[in-house]
Amino acid sequence: MKFVVSSIDLLNHLQSVSRVISSKNTLPILDNFLFDLDGGNLEITASDLESTLKTSMELANTSEKGSIAIPARLLTDTLKEFPDQPLTFDINPDTLGIVISSENGQFTIVGQNGSDFPQVPSIKEDQKTSFQVSTDLLADGINNTLFATADDELRPVMNGIFIELSPDDLTFVASDAHKLVRYKRTDVNLDANASFILPKKPAGLLKNILSKEQSDVVIEFDDKNAFFKLPHYHLVCRLVEGNYPSYNAVIPTDNPNKLIIDRLNLYNSLKRVSVFSNQASNLIKMQLNGNQLTVSAQDIDFSISAYERLNCQYDGDELEIGFKSLFLIEILSNLESSDVVMELSDPSRAGILLPLEKENENEDILMLLMPMMIHN
Amino acid sequence: MEQKFRKIIHVDMDAFYASIEQRDNPEYRNKPIAVGGSRERGVVAAASYEARKFGVYSAMPSVIARKKCPEIIFVAPRFDVYRSVSKEIMGIFKLYTDLVEPLSLDEAFLDVTVNKKNYSSATQIAKEIKVNIREKTGLTASAGVSINKFLAKIASDFKKPDGLFVIKPQEAESFVDTLPIEKFFGVGKVTAQKMHSMNIHNGNDLKQWSLNDLVLKFGKVGQYYYDIARAVDHREVNPDRIRKSVGAECTFEHDLQAIPEIIKELLSIAEILHRRINKSGFRGRTLTLKVKFSDFKQITRSRSINQNFDTLSLILETAQELVLPVSRDKKNIRLLGLSVSNSDEYSFEQQLKIDF
Repeated sequence: MKFVVSSIDLLNHLQSVSRVISSKNTLPILDNFLFDLDGGNLEITASDLESTLKTSMELANTSEKGSIAIPARLLTDTLKEFPDQPLTFDINPDTLGIVISSENGQFTIVGQNGSDFPQVPSIKEDQKTSFQVSTDLLADGINNTLFATADDELRPVMNGIFIELSPDDLTFVASDAHKLVRYKRTDVNLDANASFILPKKPAGLLKNILSKEQSDVVIEFDDKNAFFKLPHYHLVCRLVEGNYPSYNAVIPTDNPNKLIIDRLNLYNSLKRVSVFSNQASNLIKMQLNGNQLTVSAQDIDFSISAYERLNCQYDGDELEIGFKSLFLIEILSNLESSDVVMELSDPSRAGILLPLEKENENEDILMLLMPMMIHN
Repeated sequence: MEQKFRKIIHVDMDAFYASIEQRDNPEYRNKPIAVGGSRERGVVAAASYEARKFGVYSAMPSVIARKKCPEIIFVAPRFDVYRSVSKEIMGIFKLYTDLVEPLSLDEAFLDVTVNKKNYSSATQIAKEIKVNIREKTGLTASAGVSINKFLAKIASDFKKPDGLFVIKPQEAESFVDTLPIEKFFGVGKVTAQKMHSMNIHNGNDLKQWSLNDLVLKFGKVGQYYYDIARAVDHREVNPDRIRKSVGAECTFEHDLQAIPEIIKELLSIAEILHRRINKSGFRGRTLTLKVKFSDFKQITRSRSINQNFDTLSLILETAQELVLPVSRDKKNIRLLGLSVSNSDEYSFEQQLKIDF
């Protein structure tokens, strides 16, 4: 098997799929890329058994067929050092020897049999749900929710993004039990009621490849796996099994105290004041009174404290509520509007954060954050 | 000259739990009682002075206590009561100074160099505190007065029970000179033995050793030994000290290797830890196992759970689970330790969770 490929082109493709490869692989073959050549099409596969990512590139001047597994680390490390130039891969199917010839030299690698690479699961046609959305929409859904997923060994369903289809909208939900994000889009055309939980690792992989593609993505899933088909990429991942908690039930709908504030002002103030919070708790207090918000923090261990007063629009009772500053900052940085609405109830109940004005009238974004109890 | 010295008082309640039980239950008065479990694996958490005469002391297995003193009465502990009495006593200390550092429910250090009553005599304050405690709680305390924590702590132990002992600045060094090494705070059984083998039997013997040699022999704690041999202890009385953990550990005379032996030692450490947890009133959700091997390499293994490690059975069970993978390494073990940390009670701020 022999083909010629541009070093930079190949490296770009390898790097976009190499993120799948886990450093803690159980099977040694998974430390390899699978190269599958079929006529002028080179398909490159990387997998960690849970997720498999394929990319393909068109090659000129070859009509050969064959497959081989090539050590991933060795290949990418070598390619990184090349300026752009054509490389010739010459693979001996009997010895599995791979000779890469450059302008100035030769690099010899030993591969493994391509047929040893684990098979990609196929979809159960009788249980299949499929739909099609734009890459932008899917990217928005993932980007808005991924940060709120959990790392909870005891509740694996929380370690992914819950994606729920209904005829009217497509909803993305993620929560680590401290915060929850619900991102809803109505500019979809779905004819199914179905849902699946996308684990955070493939969600992160998708986030990366979606930014490289423009067209629509076709998504198919059954009870075990989901398949994301893009022009140059194909991701298959095992889904998280189990039922996602009924998230709508925990979102308060009647929080009476409403605060409207410039998002960046609040964000920057929290960044400064939280430096003075206790490093273990990260607690910041928000005091609301009239049209003024006081953000304060203290660390008794080091006798340091800080507060800042911010102007805001507040409609509600006098209120003092505590939040973990890290979480609140994270939420504010994941919203885009210039003003945010905070809907609060009492110091022990969930607060809701919403953008004041919508960037896109088809989207509905809601972030929920549980407070920290303050004991004075 | 007078102002150069700090005035530190160490107050230690006499047989705290047992005295409270005798106070609240007249039928126990003047009788040997032991607070703690009477069952097979129970240990004595505290013994009344009547019981101590028979050689019963805290940490002793209940079975042995009964052998030494057949008429001993076992009383189930009431930690809530002990905690509230402790609060009352701490309130008395606060009448004199805010520099109060509680060590556990029944003892504390006070720095009265500057005090709210403007007394020049720390001994006078110690006397008043003892009277106050007796009037308010009906219990007796022993107090030690001196120029630093180390000496004050030794002094309070000197005339127990209901004692008051003062180590004056000019007496400090000669006092330490003659003090048997076992009496030094921070010198345990194994360290004492090691010192004996180095021909150190009292403070004066210890003073003959250079700082360098002590650090070489004992590691960084050598600096502490060097200082206390000279009656020097610069540690401040720290009122903000929030207890972050409670632990117990043991260095073995002979390194351990066999798993049954390791588990046996771990059990006794867990018992000590359990007692200290009760004594300090501290609760935590993380248990940490510390293992030092014969080559002085040290590892820790910990586990966090959703409840406090407050029962002996829970500590034992988890400690065993933690030690088994370690003991399979077949390395000789020199030291084992267990500690409990991660307290909800002391992290006043609690992140709330969504109730899915």
